[in-house]
Amino acid sequence: MNIEHWTLDIGHSLVPTRSVGTRKVYLLILLLFSAPAAAAIVDTIDRVHPKIVKIYGAGGFSGMESYQSGILISPEGHVLTAFSYVLDTDYISVMLSDGRELDAKLLGADPRLDVAVLKIEAEGLPYFDLSKAVKLEAGARVLAFSNVFGVALGGEPVSVQKGTVAVVTQLDARRGVFETPYRGSVYALDMTTNNPGAAGGALVAFGGELAGMLGKELRNSLNNTWLNYALPIDKIRQSVEDIRSGKFVARRDPEEVKKPLRSLDPAALGIVLVPDVLERTPPYVDRVLPGSPAARAGMKPDDLIILSGDRLVQSCKALAKEMEFVDYEDPIRLTVIRGQELLEFTLRSAGESKPSKRTYP
Amino acid sequence: MTTMIRCKLGFPSLNAPGLRSRGGALTRNIPRDRSRGALKSLLSVFVAFSLLTAPSVASDDVESQLQTALRAAVERVAPAVVQIETLGGLEHVDGKLFGTGPTTGLVVGPKGYIISSAFNFAAQPASILVRLPDGTRKPAKLVATDHARMLVLLKIDVDKPLPVGEIAPRGEMRVGQWAIAVGRTFQLDRPNMAVGILSALDRVWGKAIQTDAAVSPNNYGGPLIDIHGRVLGVLVPLSPKATGRMAGMEWYDSGIGFAIPAEDVRRALPRLINGEDLYRGLAGISLKGPNLYTGRPIIAACLPKCPATEAGLQAGDEIVEIDGRPITRAAEVNTEIGRRYAGDKVSITVLRGDQRLQREMQLAAKLEPFRHGFLGVLPMRSDARDGVAVRYVYPKSPATAAGIEAGDVLVSLDEEPIVDRIGLIEKIGSLEPGTEVRLEIRRNGALRQVKMVLAQLPIDLPSEELPVAQPPSAGLNTRSQPEAAGLQLKIPEYSNEAWAYVPEGYRPEAPCGVVVWLHAPGGFEWKDLLARWKPLCDRYNLILLAPKSADPARWTPGETEFVDRLLDQIGSTYQVDTTRIVAHGYEGGGTMAFLTAFRNRDSIRAVAAVEAVMRGRPPHNEPLHRLAVYIARAEKSRFAKPIKRSAAALKKLKFPVTLKSLGETPRYLNDQELSQLARWIDMLDRI
Repeated sequence: MNIEHWTLDIGHSLVPTRSVGTRKVYLLILLLFSAPAAAAIVDTIDRVHPKIVKIYGAGGFSGMESYQSGILISPEGHVLTAFSYVLDTDYISVMLSDGRELDAKLLGADPRLDVAVLKIEAEGLPYFDLSKAVKLEAGARVLAFSNVFGVALGGEPVSVQKGTVAVVTQLDARRGVFETPYRGSVYALDMTTNNPGAAGGALVAFGGELAGMLGKELRNSLNNTWLNYALPIDKIRQSVEDIRSGKFVARRDPEEVKKPLRSLDPAALGIVLVPDVLERTPPYVDRVLPGSPAARAGMKPDDLIILSGDRLVQSCKALAKEMEFVDYEDPIRLTVIRGQELLEFTLRSAGESKPSKRTYP
Repeated sequence: MTTMIRCKLGFPSLNAPGLRSRGGALTRNIPRDRSRGALKSLLSVFVAFSLLTAPSVASDDVESQLQTALRAAVERVAPAVVQIETLGGLEHVDGKLFGTGPTTGLVVGPKGYIISSAFNFAAQPASILVRLPDGTRKPAKLVATDHARMLVLLKIDVDKPLPVGEIAPRGEMRVGQWAIAVGRTFQLDRPNMAVGILSALDRVWGKAIQTDAAVSPNNYGGPLIDIHGRVLGVLVPLSPKATGRMAGMEWYDSGIGFAIPAEDVRRALPRLINGEDLYRGLAGISLKGPNLYTGRPIIAACLPKCPATEAGLQAGDEIVEIDGRPITRAAEVNTEIGRRYAGDKVSITVLRGDQRLQREMQLAAKLEPFRHGFLGVLPMRSDARDGVAVRYVYPKSPATAAGIEAGDVLVSLDEEPIVDRIGLIEKIGSLEPGTEVRLEIRRNGALRQVKMVLAQLPIDLPSEELPVAQPPSAGLNTRSQPEAAGLQLKIPEYSNEAWAYVPEGYRPEAPCGVVVWLHAPGGFEWKDLLARWKPLCDRYNLILLAPKSADPARWTPGETEFVDRLLDQIGSTYQVDTTRIVAHGYEGGGTMAFLTAFRNRDSIRAVAAVEAVMRGRPPHNEPLHRLAVYIARAEKSRFAKPIKRSAAALKKLKFPVTLKSLGETPRYLNDQELSQLARWIDMLDRI
């Protein structure tokens, strides 16, 4: 069998190739089972739908929808949902899948995680047991249940979407990227789930096991796209249990990394950067002051600073911002590109700077 | 039976210790055990099904097998999917905020060659870093850009060969098969994946394959793979209607995603590795007819200096074959040429009369902008079919030098009889300045031959009143003007209003020019507008057409279609002089006038923009579609600079650009200037 190569420099491959027959069997199996697979999803959806509710509250003006979604988590009417402006009213109502609309009380919320628990007066409701929630990995096939865009009216069941977990990722990768207090891992999804009304909806595995709660709309400022995601249940379960049992003590807002009283700046290290004339001026070293920590360490003009510690600095402004978090007295690790080489320097304004320690090939 | 899923790492001949070397290539299988397990369970599922076990149980197994297969496919390509970081660069690209986030690349050569989407570098970063899946950061060089397929090739230095993705052969691709879009933007240690199917082959003029998997900046530059982990293509934003690095980005995560087929990428690699930037190949042909999809591919014109002309093709040739592929429609010519690069050689077969000719041409990256030739006369607008009578001779023009006078009749051009005004405009228009022509003229019954060298179209504003263009009417056909106050027009699908005024004494045998007035933000009062234009319309035989934008505060680009429909309606009711159709606007309306003219190159012959900035990329100047430009601007205008740039860009493309200064303060034209503009419009049929 002829193997296709990108470039001639790969040479000819000697990989044992799979027989065509195997592939055919594989396709045959997939084809044979495509219909029953749909049947399984149908069963799952039938079981999940009664556990999802619609929530109505504040909003309804200037693009702020007055509804969202929720998940029943106890037979006596505890509802897990997203903490949002919709709950910012004394009149919250929950509509069950059978069309009953009940008044709901906000039991409590954890602003750190953007989750809230509501309580309605009811008994014997179908529900998800949070202790049985599952953890997912990238590639997991999932269903999302929510009243996205409020299309399900009255007792109509909420909308179901099918997709895949794109990756399990951290929201705290960089400062200011996502405007949410939540800083843990999320399930990034490959389907368009996070639209108005979807927050508080459920992410379930194909077998019907609860895995996550759909979050509020979030923009990824790294590439200006909307993020579709769900909060893993295992990350929020403790807070939810605490709220339910009345033990929840509102923790302080996520601790901002404090800036030191006196911050480091390039000048203190003897580094003069090129004039910052653009929005994103690349942080090139213009001059190194003689006898300065940078000079002693061996930094040179035209070095391009790319990392402060382990953080990528993509402009003079970003470097200045990063250095605001470094104490004047503390050492700073700067990585530069010189020609085609990466060089790392550990500099200290007060003490002695170390020359380049580690070089990348 | 061999393994279901395997990972091939192709290396050049290097005697790396610990690796088996065979005949210059080293290979290694990675997730063998896992895949064997997967296959075993697949087979057990098969058995379960044949025993008619409860379908839900069986299908759960299939779902989990599918999940395993999808993951294994991603894992297989993962070692070749790298993260790309950039430093510096623009904050806004094409008016949109551009992110700084990491993007994705695909290793295509073990020596450190990485292909990615040109979108990822639209901000023109100062420096590029590649992060390999093991966390190593490497400075990267941008080796070359493929401007036709919006790809870039990067190179990093490597001390050991990099794993390369395997290519899925084009011939095996089927619409409906699994397709997984892979990026490495969220996490360095794990690729992100989006699952879908292959939606179409041969998209965007034959350049791309299409998928419904979520494609976005989260995976542009990464691979689209099949269920076996083989690379179907490289993900890029693309638009069938626009070019540029940002084009197609508006469709992110929409279910319409594109990838450049891996085989096409591979074919371009040797040139990219050599540092050659690749461009779309151009032939320089205009095809006849307004409809690409129904029209036969007949050449309407070839640019004087272009690959088609150099290959000996000419107007009237019908294209029947390109590189052995039969061609029956105009759109197929665009697809066949559109998928080729500048520098590519193309064999093209045409029918000329009853001859079948085969010609070779080498496509070009750029076409020399075309400039229309000019004799220096204004023609009479009569319906005589035995030549063109001269209405006016431009001073200091080739016609003056040759002794041509008003009243002469132009009878033949280069030994071919001249039939009418429009035919002569097309003939002279497809010749460039500097071309020598032989004219035969008739004066008082006597014929005379003259030779002259064509000049450029004039850009001066007419200072004097010109002789009347129409022979006096017999008076019999004159229709009295029933709609002195104008007519209101309506196009069924549009909510927009529109008004029109048809000049007094309109008669079908004296076709009218059309001025499309595109109002500034705030709209207009028809009565006031008509009061200013009525005398000019009557004098110069012009129809005034004044559409209103649906939102009085602004025009939207889609409304050019409404204008197009209005022009159709006017054209089907009245005889229209196709040489004098003008889009005229003030401020935002002027910008709309540019857009309307650029999108209706077939019909609109001039733009008159007052205090307005041109948006978008102007089209090429074409032999058959003359376009004159009038730009009026004030020195202290907020837009002085962009207006200047607009004019310069159009001049560079060799459009005749007439500039008019309005003094210091921005304003619309006064009565005198408006009359001058009407005279300029009256001279648009100059030859």
